Amino acid sequence: MDTVDLDTIEQIVERIGRDACHALPLLQAVQAHYGYLPTEAIESLCELTDCEPSQLWSIATFYDQFRLKPAGRHLIRVCIGTACHVKGAGQIFEAFKRHLHISEGEDTDAQRLFTVEKVACLGCCMLAPAVQIDDVIYGYLTHETIPQVLQDFLEQQKQAATVSGIRKPEKVLQGQARICLDSSCRAVGSDKVYDALEKAAAQMHLPVKIKNTSCHGMSFLAPLVEVVMADGKIFRYGNTAPTDAASILRRHFQSASAGARIKSGIDQFMHTLLDDRIGEGPIRYSLSVRDHSIDAYLNKQVHIATEHAAEIDPLDIAEYQKKGGFETLRQCLMDRTPESILEELENSGLRGRGGGGYPTHLKWFAVHKVQAPQKYIICNGDEGDPGAFMDRMLMESYPYRILEGMAIAAWTVGATEGYLYIRAEYPLALARIRQAIKNCRRLGLLGEHILGMDFSLDLHVYTGAGAFVCGEETSLIKSIEGKRPAPRLRPPYPTQHGLNGAPTLVNNVETFVSVPWVLRMGADNFAGHGTAGSKGTKVFALAGKICRGGLVEVPMGMTIRQIVEEIGGGIENDKQLKAVQIGGPSGGCVPASMADTKIDYESLHTAGAIMGSGGMVVLDETDCMVDIARYFLEFTQQQSCGRCTFCRVGTKRMLEILERLCEGQGCAGDIEKLQQIGTQIQNNSICGLGKTAPNPVLSTIEHFREEYQAHIDGTCPAGRCRSLIHYSITDECIGCTICAQHCPADAIAMKPYEKHIIDQQTCIRCGTCKTVCPAGAVEVK
Amino acid sequence: MITLTIDNQTVEVSEGSTILQAARKLGIEIPTLCFSEGFKPSVSCMVCVVRVAGVKHLVPACGTRVADNMAVITHSEEIQAARQTAIELLLSEHIGDCVGPCMRGCPANMNIPVMIRQIVSGQFEDAIATVKKDIPFPAILGRVCPAPCEKVCRRNQADSAVSICLLKRFVADIDLRSEKSYRPVCQPSIGKKVAIIGAGPCGLSAAYYLQQAGIDCTVYDDHEKPGGALRYSEIDRAILPLEVLENEINQIFRLKVKFQGNIRLGRDVSIDELEKQNDAIFIALGTFNENNKDFPEIVAKDNKIQVDRPLYSTSREGVFAGGVCIGSRNICIRAVADGKEAADSIRSCILGQKVQEKKEYNHQMGRLKPEEMELFLKQASDSERIYPQSVIEGLTATEAQAEAKRCLHCDCRKADGCKLRDLATDQEARRNVWPGQRKLFSQITAHEQVVFEPGKCIKCGLCIQAAKIAGEALGLSFEGRGFNMQIVVPLEKTLVEGLRNASTECVRVCPTGAFSFKC
Repeated sequence: MDTVDLDTIEQIVERIGRDACHALPLLQAVQAHYGYLPTEAIESLCELTDCEPSQLWSIATFYDQFRLKPAGRHLIRVCIGTACHVKGAGQIFEAFKRHLHISEGEDTDAQRLFTVEKVACLGCCMLAPAVQIDDVIYGYLTHETIPQVLQDFLEQQKQAATVSGIRKPEKVLQGQARICLDSSCRAVGSDKVYDALEKAAAQMHLPVKIKNTSCHGMSFLAPLVEVVMADGKIFRYGNTAPTDAASILRRHFQSASAGARIKSGIDQFMHTLLDDRIGEGPIRYSLSVRDHSIDAYLNKQVHIATEHAAEIDPLDIAEYQKKGGFETLRQCLMDRTPESILEELENSGLRGRGGGGYPTHLKWFAVHKVQAPQKYIICNGDEGDPGAFMDRMLMESYPYRILEGMAIAAWTVGATEGYLYIRAEYPLALARIRQAIKNCRRLGLLGEHILGMDFSLDLHVYTGAGAFVCGEETSLIKSIEGKRPAPRLRPPYPTQHGLNGAPTLVNNVETFVSVPWVLRMGADNFAGHGTAGSKGTKVFALAGKICRGGLVEVPMGMTIRQIVEEIGGGIENDKQLKAVQIGGPSGGCVPASMADTKIDYESLHTAGAIMGSGGMVVLDETDCMVDIARYFLEFTQQQSCGRCTFCRVGTKRMLEILERLCEGQGCAGDIEKLQQIGTQIQNNSICGLGKTAPNPVLSTIEHFREEYQAHIDGTCPAGRCRSLIHYSITDECIGCTICAQHCPADAIAMKPYEKHIIDQQTCIRCGTCKTVCPAGAVEVK
Repeated sequence: MITLTIDNQTVEVSEGSTILQAARKLGIEIPTLCFSEGFKPSVSCMVCVVRVAGVKHLVPACGTRVADNMAVITHSEEIQAARQTAIELLLSEHIGDCVGPCMRGCPANMNIPVMIRQIVSGQFEDAIATVKKDIPFPAILGRVCPAPCEKVCRRNQADSAVSICLLKRFVADIDLRSEKSYRPVCQPSIGKKVAIIGAGPCGLSAAYYLQQAGIDCTVYDDHEKPGGALRYSEIDRAILPLEVLENEINQIFRLKVKFQGNIRLGRDVSIDELEKQNDAIFIALGTFNENNKDFPEIVAKDNKIQVDRPLYSTSREGVFAGGVCIGSRNICIRAVADGKEAADSIRSCILGQKVQEKKEYNHQMGRLKPEEMELFLKQASDSERIYPQSVIEGLTATEAQAEAKRCLHCDCRKADGCKLRDLATDQEARRNVWPGQRKLFSQITAHEQVVFEPGKCIKCGLCIQAAKIAGEALGLSFEGRGFNMQIVVPLEKTLVEGLRNASTECVRVCPTGAFSFKC
């Protein structure tokens, strides 16, 4: 690898700064340059900056993002988020390693081309299982598509240099073709469809604007092309491919020039014929507005946080303003007092959307009332829960609304400087927020004397580095301060003693997004939705074994059943609903028998779950609850900062018991032991991570105790825990050899026209044979 | 000022104080482990948890600031359970033995590893003090002891045990030959008397330790001279010369222990008489005979005296018994151990003190894994076990020191200064309640003064603070997070580079044996 040269480090320091508080960005810059953190580089940083060796070392080894050893040229990050987990992410990870011939204990292939890592969650849950290779996300992986994915990635790398032709804008537009380019839509190829639309429109000289919009939330249809005609008619095409682009445009638009019109007319005619004869691929179909699934998906939702979903270009500030954007900020600055804003918030009943549900006006008031020379405002966009991607979509789709909400909050509480702390796993959100801040500064909506008034606000973007615990506010603040982000004991709360010791308002993305709406539409309007204790709406990331997964915004008080059945279209593959995991690693599982539980803070708490930040993973009968509990505990255990005994050691011991259960080595008393230590961890940890870490285990014991007992007795009723099951081929076998061809472990010998046999020693229990068998001859016991 | 109540007592403390400070002001004891006066509370061990009225969870007293009208409870079943679990969890990731297997194997619990380290560094006078703290007759035992300590010595796993018994004899022989032989400090007489029946190793051992406590002892025996089985049974005098026996027994009588020979209990003196003249009686008869007619009520069917084991007390008040007559194993070292332990019980009884009944916690890491053994062997001499040229003469100084260097030092160097062990004892922590992954034992010994054993670390970070306060350029740092978090010298540097001047302070502030002095 490259040797560390002092010049490079000096340039980095020059660019970022010498203060000890810049520790994290300094290390990120070094890693960006070298691909890892060479020890000599950290040493140089110590010499050139105010950072101390112990500080840099403790940070460099804390965050997942940092590597102390060189990596391969490209980084494959296999998402092991909840939705990906239940769809076999573990096997995908192993399959990548198998395919690249990476041996046990290694993470990089022999050519040093690819390094394979697990990542907590990419926030693309509806594309599960998903992976990110450098900056490209691929969804719906199977071990068989891995070679294609790698090939596609490498080809894309080659083409990266070629710039596609830019089309001149048409004078009179007949309409728009809208497509969302959020990272999850991109992962299923929406960017390619976008390019294809651009190219087709240019080639055919069609008077249509191809527009990148905020996310529609209908991930199950992505890439979704919406054609909006000048008369307002909307046509939607779901699950499109680049090859569909031309035919979609031809259906609705006529080219401007006569010659071109004829040509495209013939093309169109030919195409229709072809269409009719061959039909479209099984996963691509066009939908009309009246399509039942879209209706059901959209009509039950209430768009407050996601107002103007799929309508506006995320970064088009003029469009945002045209729809009333920044008007609320203007009104607040000119006509309202902080007190009246606080009162309005109180009346609205808005509660923090980050998970805790603390009344927003109380938090704001706590900062507002303190006299201090400096106050800060922080937007917590460190959405680390596996199975949650609301904040990512909000940041990618509504950057201006977040900034407006923050500006209003800052003005109300008296803060003049602020940060948006965003996960490094969300590069598009980072880019769009950065751009949005730039645009706002240019228009005097941020910076000095906002809107010409005596109010200044400087906002910075801070990139996280892969640590779930940084979602905890004291940890997040320490991260920004350049310290090792182990949470500290509260009180004092950040509202009194926050960033750099100053009063600090920390709110979640969704909370800030809701603020302009509440103030513009009025508290009553907001409080008109929801239940007595929980007002307004909540955005959920609906994923797992559901027909229509995606981002949904529902009024509080809707039942879990309504969300799953009416919005989500029920369980996929005709399976039965078993439970819904709500609240991620801090939450719990609500069993199907309690599906009529209402979505509000109190009801969910009673059911043993929590609102959390909004991850909702639907589980069916093939999901093992012990495995789910083990999965979440593995996550929190890995994410524990290690500070307090109960969290550091207690969660490890719990995990070991769960692992034993999943391996069929449980023993009598294990369930009680889990409950005992679980309760003590809840009671004796200093931060929210530890206090809630046992929840998934305790809630599954409460609702599915018999399943735990079954594991102690040596069976996994869901047929999920690999050590407790085996696959076999029944007499139904037709000898087609498909299973043998697909088996990744070569555990089935190919015997045409004979009954196949699975070698139990070689079998890795991945279930591929069962999936591919056309005769249903593979059984699992 | 802030007013609050702790265990229903009102206290006033300045704003910004912690619950722990307020409790200490009231004299209320809250156990702590990761807290050290003068350091920023690390708030990590959670041993100091208390309940604050109105707060859902327990809170750590060391880091929680007081507030007006706060009501704190420091002791309850729930709190006790939490403290115990916190310690048991810490112990579940603790790697190391409090005391070496040799010491656990020795019936008298002699601190063998310390003696060995003293031999290595040539401090023979200190070594005899270490030995005599637990064994009054090392020269004798060095010749006749079957050495249970050597059977459990970890070095057996690699080649053969350290020659512990001969090392002890080596130390004792030097002492016996010296003009200024070791003489323990005896408390001035407190005016209490104990009659000891039987002048064998058990009775003499009891006398040796009681006399040191200022209690006047008279030993009775039906033989003419003291020594019991050591003198009157058939022992090869080539192995245990009479001279050695008498010299070492004389060491005991130098402490003003009285001896009355040719006196048989039940024949020449009755137990009732002795009771009148003494504050306690200790029966240390080896073999048992018709004497028991004198006190039938304390003798069981199997002809053994029945005692309450840890206290050696019989059903007759003020009468204690030990040695073979209570069924103890018939080896000299066991008799010596009985005498010593009974002396402790008798002393407490006479002084009206409660005997420490809590058994000291001993952590054990069990059989070493091969890579751990390798690590230990690196710190020890690789020579084979040294046998003396002549069995009669024992080891020479050169041989003894060479043999002592074979010790693996698998005990904890800070067994006596370890807050974790003290708390484990106090809170009656159990071993192996939370079995699970055990990391490998590791040890950094390159530093001149200190040894660092990461497996004993509780991750409180006090050493990091200490190094920082001392102005270390490199110092120490946390590495990683969660269960795998550890304390290291940053930038992959050595401990020598990390701790240029803070090593002593690190040992002082470390609540466990993670940082300890080399010897």
